[in-house]
Amino acid sequence: MKNSRRLFLKSACAVVVGASGYTIAKSSTESVEMDGKKYALVHDETKCIGCDACSIACREVNQVPEGVSRLEIEREGPYGEYPEQYFRFTRKSCQQCEDAPCVKVCPTGAAYKDPETGIVSVNSWKCVGCQYCIAACPYQVRFINPVTHAADKCDFCKETRLKEGRLPACVSACPTQALTFGDLKDPDSNLVKVLKTAPNYRSKTELGTRPKVFRIASQEGDITL
Amino acid sequence: MSPFHFDGLVWHWPIAIYLFLAGVSAGAISFAILLKHFKLGKDAYKSGFIQAACIIAPLAVFAGLGILVLDLTKPFDFWKILVFYNSTSVMSVGVAVLMIYQLILFAWLICVFKEPVLNWCNGRWPLLIRLLNALVKHEPSITGFLAIFALSLGAYTGFLLSALTTYPMLNNPVLPLLFLISGLSSGAAGTLLGGVLLKGDPDGKEVHFIHNIEIPIILVEMVLLFTFFIGLILSGGQSKIAAMRAIGEGFWGWVFWGGIVVLGLSLPLAFNLFMKASSKRKFSYVAITASCSLIGVLLLRNFILYTGQMTVA
Repeated sequence: MKNSRRLFLKSACAVVVGASGYTIAKSSTESVEMDGKKYALVHDETKCIGCDACSIACREVNQVPEGVSRLEIEREGPYGEYPEQYFRFTRKSCQQCEDAPCVKVCPTGAAYKDPETGIVSVNSWKCVGCQYCIAACPYQVRFINPVTHAADKCDFCKETRLKEGRLPACVSACPTQALTFGDLKDPDSNLVKVLKTAPNYRSKTELGTRPKVFRIASQEGDITL
Repeated sequence: MSPFHFDGLVWHWPIAIYLFLAGVSAGAISFAILLKHFKLGKDAYKSGFIQAACIIAPLAVFAGLGILVLDLTKPFDFWKILVFYNSTSVMSVGVAVLMIYQLILFAWLICVFKEPVLNWCNGRWPLLIRLLNALVKHEPSITGFLAIFALSLGAYTGFLLSALTTYPMLNNPVLPLLFLISGLSSGAAGTLLGGVLLKGDPDGKEVHFIHNIEIPIILVEMVLLFTFFIGLILSGGQSKIAAMRAIGEGFWGWVFWGGIVVLGLSLPLAFNLFMKASSKRKFSYVAITASCSLIGVLLLRNFILYTGQMTVA
């Protein structure tokens, strides 16, 4: 009796450890290679003038309600003395991570990476609003849409402009051509050319998220340690 | 920075209460299993402490799940969590654990209260009696699985938060262990408090047994809490900033040192050692010690949840 119980406990533990270990190992080694595109964006901070044309266009095209936003331009500064004054502008929007924390934590699979475009998207019907993805996103760009009550964020205009075969609203609206959009897998695309010629960086790469929004650093402003 | 409203705050106190209740449920049923297995045997159902644990465990887990569902932005769509699964999501795995846990919990409760149920049936409903006997035949397996799932549930409450890379303080390997151990201690406290309220003997063998386990559990909890914060401080960078913001000056610093370290850990430890040394345990001693532990764990859940979200990687 006692031995059978012990055997049972041992084997049950082995099954639990094995099953959870397998799931974790599988999820970490899995790199799904798709035939589809891999869309990415470059924000050239040296060209950005912080006019907010991009965020206004985004709100218009994607019908983003007031009080929340898919795209914001953050302003730092001013640096220096008038008239030699500068601001530093950075883009705050979904970083389209290759290894997206929001996709990993979503309990229903409402947050998913579209296999054809590589764009991290939200299925608002599947979303129950647990807000786990909002907490999991280290870039803090996800929000609950007050109209749909589902999680929402930038999807490179996948459901609006890309469907019409046009560029994302922010890219078209930018008056200084600070934004370049394209397919990372296409070596002849403007995007790849820009990335190959200008030194660029991505935000919080140390977290292993592998974001697909690249930035060309502004030379203005103070150097911080 | 206001303690309850700041940038980056996503999850509020209802989540802390849910984590607390899940821990209490897992802890209470773990102690009920231990009491039945090592001390009480077949007559377990007559003990006020077993009765208390068997009331607390299902009620706490139901209340916790209820709070969780109400906290969704789409409460009426909660069934989608049960239908769609994502094996990489800690929450999804946790929901599966919670569902199986509740099933096994009820199977075990039926086994424990077999005699009163049979007496109540009084020979009626032969189908029910046959079902009952079939369940009781598998009681050892049910007990084993319940123990595993209770511990999984206790650890899950920690893994849920430690999966968040956004927050360096939460993304911490010690957190699941800390939540598991503090969940067990809150379950023990809930069982003791409920037991004495249900006219259990405050100097009975159940109390002696639980207190003997509670002392090492409190010590381990202190070590884990120490490791948790020293680990963060030694990691440097945002982790260190997060730790100092949490336990340094301010509202949450008071909660940590006064509410968790003194009221929730040191006082119960001192009371337990005192009760162990002095021979007789009284109702008031047991009830006050248990209340301190429960408040301490509830504060710990809120403290970790709020201060964890204060600092972003």
